[in-house]
Amino acid sequence: MKKNGVKMIKINSKNVDVFYGKKQALFNINLDIEENQVTALIGPSGCGKSTFLRCLNRMNDVIDICRVKGQIIINDFDINDKSCDVVRLREKIGMVFQKPNPFPKTIYENISYGPTIHGMAQSKNEMDEIVENSLKKAALWEEVKDRLHEPGTGLSGGQQQRLCIARAISVKPEVILMDEPCSALDPIATAQIEELIDELKKDHTIIIVTHSMAQAARVSQNTGFFHLGELIEHGSTDKIFKNPENKRTQDYITGRFG
Amino acid sequence: MNKNKEKLLNSRYRAEKRFQFYGKSAIFLALLFLTIFIFKIFSTGYTAFQKTWLIVPVTFDAETMYLDENPSKEDLEDADYFDLALQTMFNLDKSASEKQQNDLKRMVSYFFEREIKRELLNDPSLIGKTKDVYLTASDDLDQVFKGNYPRDLPEDQRRVTDYQLKIFDQLVEQGRIESKFNLSFFTYPDSREAELAGIASSFMGSIFSILVCLVIAFPVAVLAAIYLEEFAPKNRFTDFIEVNINNLAAVPSIVFGLLGLGILLAVFQLPRSTPLVGGITLSLMTLPTIIIACRASLKAVPPSIREAALAMGASKMQTTMHHTVPLSMPGTLSGTIIGLAQALGETAPLILIGMVAFVNTIPGSPLDPAASLPVQIYIWAESAERGFVEKVSACIMVLLGFLIIMNLFAQIIRHKFEKKWS
Amino acid sequence: MVEAPHTVKSYEEELKNLNSNIIKMGGFCEESLGKAIQAITTRNSDNAEAVIKDDEKIDKFETLIEQQVVNLIALRQPMAIDLRETVTALKISSDLERIGDLAKNISKRTLLLNENLPKNLTEALVRVSSNVQKQLKSILDAYLDRSSAMAINVWEGDEQIDDLTNLCMQEVIKYLKENEKNLDDGTHLLFVTKNIERIGDHTTNVAEQVYYLVTGEYLEGDRPKGTEPIVTGEK
Repeated sequence: MKKNGVKMIKINSKNVDVFYGKKQALFNINLDIEENQVTALIGPSGCGKSTFLRCLNRMNDVIDICRVKGQIIINDFDINDKSCDVVRLREKIGMVFQKPNPFPKTIYENISYGPTIHGMAQSKNEMDEIVENSLKKAALWEEVKDRLHEPGTGLSGGQQQRLCIARAISVKPEVILMDEPCSALDPIATAQIEELIDELKKDHTIIIVTHSMAQAARVSQNTGFFHLGELIEHGSTDKIFKNPENKRTQDYITGRFG
Repeated sequence: MNKNKEKLLNSRYRAEKRFQFYGKSAIFLALLFLTIFIFKIFSTGYTAFQKTWLIVPVTFDAETMYLDENPSKEDLEDADYFDLALQTMFNLDKSASEKQQNDLKRMVSYFFEREIKRELLNDPSLIGKTKDVYLTASDDLDQVFKGNYPRDLPEDQRRVTDYQLKIFDQLVEQGRIESKFNLSFFTYPDSREAELAGIASSFMGSIFSILVCLVIAFPVAVLAAIYLEEFAPKNRFTDFIEVNINNLAAVPSIVFGLLGLGILLAVFQLPRSTPLVGGITLSLMTLPTIIIACRASLKAVPPSIREAALAMGASKMQTTMHHTVPLSMPGTLSGTIIGLAQALGETAPLILIGMVAFVNTIPGSPLDPAASLPVQIYIWAESAERGFVEKVSACIMVLLGFLIIMNLFAQIIRHKFEKKWS
Repeated sequence: MVEAPHTVKSYEEELKNLNSNIIKMGGFCEESLGKAIQAITTRNSDNAEAVIKDDEKIDKFETLIEQQVVNLIALRQPMAIDLRETVTALKISSDLERIGDLAKNISKRTLLLNENLPKNLTEALVRVSSNVQKQLKSILDAYLDRSSAMAINVWEGDEQIDDLTNLCMQEVIKYLKENEKNLDDGTHLLFVTKNIERIGDHTTNVAEQVYYLVTGEYLEGDRPKGTEPIVTGEK
């Protein structure tokens, strides 16, 4: 979002290197993410785009051999700093995964889990409200309002993914990370999610990793192209897709990769 | 070219048919053995659930019991029923010689005195009257009545005398021999006399052992498995532990028995022959089984669920306790039950820690001496009396039934609580 | 810029095919324009008829290219350079088609013209038309070579054509003033001159397209007047 004509930067990554054991997966990534915009990260498999995404909410901590260097600054705060609390960070930065992964619990419990562990609701009524709002924002309310206490795993793939999005937004995160959220969905469900992403960007900053360049082109305002662990090019989406500056970007998005 | 292909194709089909045939015959063979085994057990064992009774008229003569007039309840309790019981048996053949009287006495169990007493205690007004009383037949006559006893052997080779047979046949003619469901098999403890031997002591022993085993092994194993799988760093040391847990599962059970003997009894001085010691020993044996089952089912929980929880800002502990462990419970529980079923059938370690001792009381707690079902089978199988042969089979049937119920339970848990994820 | 081949070979083929169709179509336009100009300057009615007949071929090319472009967009979703190539092909083909139409119109009028035209007039006509012809040729070369520099040259050359057209117009008006009988021929000649100028404009359009195709940027500002090029940031 532009304020007084100046782009507001939400996330600012400086010289980020990531290592898996001895292998370096990301090289010196400097990428600024604009607030309340959708930023798409594209690139061939294994290029490091998912790795970068997972740096942003420190999901890489789960992997023992993974080391992250450099600074990732969100709200003037370096999340790689020792004083950063991962649990708090992940409350602020939600994530939606490639495969819909609702908890094998009821729809209601799926949504209420986050607010419960973060103590966001004082009463049953408040919780009901959070659940309803989250589902409404995820455009799922109408479809599930009569079966909130049925298992979330009984929904269709697209509904499950929207449930996961509702779960992610239930704790009101500032940033939502999406790791190929539509790769397991059919075109209709994909379109619904894309529409949803467009809506969500009003309140959240969204970063989406996708294999589908068409999807990146459709949903994002900014695009970053990763290749072999490097950020090759980063800029506005229409620039990248109409007239990229870098030859490798052009080769990738036109399908000329050898 | 085409011909060759045709030939090749045909030979491929034939190979498949052959393979299927081998497979089917293997299954058939396995089923055949199983059927023979079960048939054998059942055919020898089912009779143990019947018990033969002699219906003998008893005259509750106060004088024979050395009772005063209008005896009190205590008097009845303390009265001597032995002469009355003897007299009752002698009455079956009043012209019997002394040796024959002895034979008559041995036609019923040594318990007969008490059976008569119980009858009177139930109804004190019987004094001076005569009533038909059910007396447990001796194990040999029991076998005779069930047709398991070879009558055609020469008399000196069998334990039933010709005289007993004669009386017995008379009684059969008079309809004074009756076969009824053998409740005492389940309610009596072990006994030297086959007709009175029951599985109550060993059954309770088994149950107490299993409970002790469950209470100790389950929490320890589950905690160990969760720590190893979810929290422990993956390094050489944890690899080493993992290998050794797997090795522990392969250790012969008798080694655990020695451990129990050497440490629990010798060092800690725990009471011998008790389900407590048995249960602890068995729990050592069950531990690796449950750990392996629990780790396997923790591994089977898709990582996407953990990621989902972590990404929501759940701590490692919350992720594990709220999501991973509940999802792994069905597998863990059914693994536990199967481990317990294994422990239930275990004999060797229990023999070593003394649960083989003859116990003729029913244990009321894990600290009372007891036997266990498989050990009971072992004890009876060693006994010479013919009456124990069917008891062995019957006890095997009970044990098998117990195991089948446990496995069924494991299956039900697996099916009922296993949640489908994505 | 030489591009690496696409991973999908049939896509590569389709793009090459589109490209070669534009070049072929351009070739036909060039030929038609040449013949039409020859017809008017040498009074050759055979050439004029050939041009009228060839226009059909050019129209067919336009239809063909349009179909190819629609197919590419629908089925291949071209991006970046491919997208620009596809879109410019559509626009260039419509400019070329207009050039073909204008050449045809010139030829039709040629057939109606009187035999004798004043020498001054013919010379003025030849000057402007050969210039246009040169422009068309070099923009087609620029397209073939993907050369933005040549495209800018062509774009800038439009000014000269405008000047030459004005001179030619003056000659025609002079011719009209000479004699009332010249009214018919004069009117035709006015249109012919205007048509040649329009061809020059379409050529400039193509130049803009070629520039966009190569650089991804638009030639901005007014068409150049005078000698100073307005365009900067040439790539």
